[in-house]
Amino acid sequence: MEAVPAIELTGIDKAFYGVKANDDVHFELKWGEVHALLGENGAGKSTLCSILAGLYRPDSGDMKMDGTSAAFRSPKEALAAGIGMVYQHFRLVPNLTVAENLNLGHPGLGIRISQRDMERDAAHLGERYGLGVDPRARVWQLSVGEQQRVEILKLLHRDVRVLILDEPTAVLTPQESETLFRTMRLMASEDRAVIFVSHKLREVKQVSDRVTVLRNGQTVGVVNTADAEPRDLARMMVGRDLELAAREAGEPPGEPVLEVDGLRIPGERGLEAVKGISFRICRNEVLGIAGVAGNGQRELAYGLAGLRGPTAGTIRLLGIDITRAPVLSRIRKGVAYVPQNRLGMGLAPGLSTDENLGLKSYRWPPFSRGPLLIPGAFRDRSEILIQEYDIRGVRPGLPIRLLSGGNLQKALIAREVSQEHHLLIARSPTRGLDVGATDAVRRLILAERKRGTAVLLISEDLDELLALSDRILVMYEGEFVGEVDADEATREGLGLLMAGHREDDQ
Amino acid sequence: MSARRYTIEPRGLASARVRLMVPLLSVLAALIVGAGFLTLTGNSPWTVYSRMVDAAFGSGRGFAETLVSATPLILTGVAAAIAFKMLVWNIGGEGQLLMGAISAAGIGILMGDGVPAVIALPVVVLAGAVGGAFWASLSAVPRVYLGTNEIITTLMLNFIALNLMNYLVLGSYSPWRDPASTQFPQGRPIPDAARIPEFFHRLDYGLFVAIGVAVLAWALIGRTRWGFELRIVGDSSDTARYAGIGVPRKILGVFLLSGAAAGLAGSLLVAGILGKMDPRSLDLGLGFTGIIVAALARLNPLAVVPVGVLMGALNNAGPALQSIQVPSATVTMLQGAILIFAVSGEFLIANRIRNVRKEEVPGLPPGEAAAT
Repeated sequence: MEAVPAIELTGIDKAFYGVKANDDVHFELKWGEVHALLGENGAGKSTLCSILAGLYRPDSGDMKMDGTSAAFRSPKEALAAGIGMVYQHFRLVPNLTVAENLNLGHPGLGIRISQRDMERDAAHLGERYGLGVDPRARVWQLSVGEQQRVEILKLLHRDVRVLILDEPTAVLTPQESETLFRTMRLMASEDRAVIFVSHKLREVKQVSDRVTVLRNGQTVGVVNTADAEPRDLARMMVGRDLELAAREAGEPPGEPVLEVDGLRIPGERGLEAVKGISFRICRNEVLGIAGVAGNGQRELAYGLAGLRGPTAGTIRLLGIDITRAPVLSRIRKGVAYVPQNRLGMGLAPGLSTDENLGLKSYRWPPFSRGPLLIPGAFRDRSEILIQEYDIRGVRPGLPIRLLSGGNLQKALIAREVSQEHHLLIARSPTRGLDVGATDAVRRLILAERKRGTAVLLISEDLDELLALSDRILVMYEGEFVGEVDADEATREGLGLLMAGHREDDQ
Repeated sequence: MSARRYTIEPRGLASARVRLMVPLLSVLAALIVGAGFLTLTGNSPWTVYSRMVDAAFGSGRGFAETLVSATPLILTGVAAAIAFKMLVWNIGGEGQLLMGAISAAGIGILMGDGVPAVIALPVVVLAGAVGGAFWASLSAVPRVYLGTNEIITTLMLNFIALNLMNYLVLGSYSPWRDPASTQFPQGRPIPDAARIPEFFHRLDYGLFVAIGVAVLAWALIGRTRWGFELRIVGDSSDTARYAGIGVPRKILGVFLLSGAAAGLAGSLLVAGILGKMDPRSLDLGLGFTGIIVAALARLNPLAVVPVGVLMGALNNAGPALQSIQVPSATVTMLQGAILIFAVSGEFLIANRIRNVRKEEVPGLPPGEAAAT
């Protein structure tokens, strides 16, 4: 007879303001297994975990724990039932010690507390699970990896039986990941259950017993890890493609526009995000950069746009060294940049469409004369761009944030390409757009290529990369792990590279 | 089953009518609440309000006094408005005003008699702006280059400026203290040449300086490259960086301008109605009332002018109430009530309340919708 599963989810639906994050999701977790949850960004992994952990409540669907119906109204209730989650953003009190953090909110804590007992328990627990951390250290003194250990110890201290780890290896060094995997195996051997959220195939393959793959909020399939080939998993994860505007053989690439050599750029928390990469892009060429989010793409774009200073290497534009040039000088020299988060960077949401379209040209005539702005010039230019790029829904004088995502993106690209430029950096330019707008944006990028612009397309969307790029470089943990000609590239091959399988591994 | 309930949802953009009506109705609501208090304390709201209107606008002299009170409020209002609009939380208008007064009086006394008015007057008035900007720089520089919290530093510098003023006149024999005053210490008068001429009862030309600064601030923000960059920084500092704008320098600039406007309020008082820097005759709280003015004006420098006049009228009406045995603190209470209603009104400008049927709420479980 089959053992009763630890957790059984059937038909889970969860929508946020009409957008389905989980759509009829089925999930089964057995005691004593490490179960990987695999999927791209936005596939619904985090939502599913948050439902398990009591942070969200499903709109519909059933949840059973140990064969009996369960519904958690808060993370506290889930924790009381033995389900704990380590979030991507830690929830620790930086000024308290490790031992204090472990006991924070612990139901067994009385009025009188003994520092010595707490520290002794913390040390024992850490030793048992191979998660050594000094119990007396204050959390802010710890490295990110150590803080994650504290999060896990905190849950073990509460004796959770189901541990959910949401992309835990994203912040770890390879060595720290190995330690974490040993701890996960140890927990599984104690008949607990571990849910491991990841989009790194190698790790999934290494540590898990079974894999559930999610795509677009739905369950694609459940497989035993031992039976699954990484390429099968990659295909399950990324799905099939749809027909949109695509590159045609055009002009052969011309003179080099951007030459990057040995570029190193710092990331957050003092880690290095871009680790010595070199490439070049020529006129009439689209260079795609593929990779799972967080592998240094943002920092690369920032570094090229002048928003973050490199620690080493050189950047040359048409032969001129711009490694240390400030943002404004790069704009003048012809660097156009379409950032990923349109309303966070790239557009000023509260200013009007006219003003946003003049955001990079207001310094020069006809938009200003001496210190004074010429509003009429803004209006004239904006009328032309609105017409030419088919930007819809513009109401004069009203904030640009009222436009739809597709029109925002068209406005942003229109502004960037309407002034003299040689290089266009575009990050996930069609993210969040519907099919029509996606097609329009793709056409704009292809038109740029035809016009002689060197385009750097940084994207997580393989369809987009395959359709638009001449060459694709795959970025993984700040380095290029492979380069493929777009005509020979396959999504399976790219998926493997994106998950960190180097070309020479195959 | 008619499961009706109310939800609050963001209003994409408020119409001009809503944006005008909400502040007006906020003032009205505050007056109604004030009427309730007056009734509870045994006064007739009608008598009190008509008395206030009469004192503030009923006579030429009363109106002149209203505008006299409004002059510094317009300037401290502009100071708060331009800073807040750029997300610089300068609540040190009070201290910057006092430093402006100290600087203006100091320069006036230093120059002494014999300097012609064409030089003495502008120098004294501008000294106030410089003093205010200097006081603001003590908070602005650490904010921009070290990331200190300007709310705390500007607030604390208010007290330092206040105590400095008291010390200069009451606690020491500094040049600011009038050597002729043997009984109580008083501020030393500045030369007559540095005084702003009056033209209508006690009202002097400083009013036009204040209005001019408000118009200038409006034009600077709306019509110049510098102001455009400021608006970008205030809207999204990441986008400003992206467009190649030096964000720290912009923040520093607006902070200093804000301090200069508040300092100007101080020098106009010294060169205007006061004629000296004197702790006993200088009204306290003008810098803080300026924050109320700016909030009511929705941070628009032009709107600061009428709102400043309204607040000036309220200030001016206070003493008149005492003649009918109503405490002048009533006015302070009304100001507070107006601020609370105006700030609450902001919420209604940004959001609308809708009565919806349960099924219409998209994708929200009942618990979450009720909580929003």
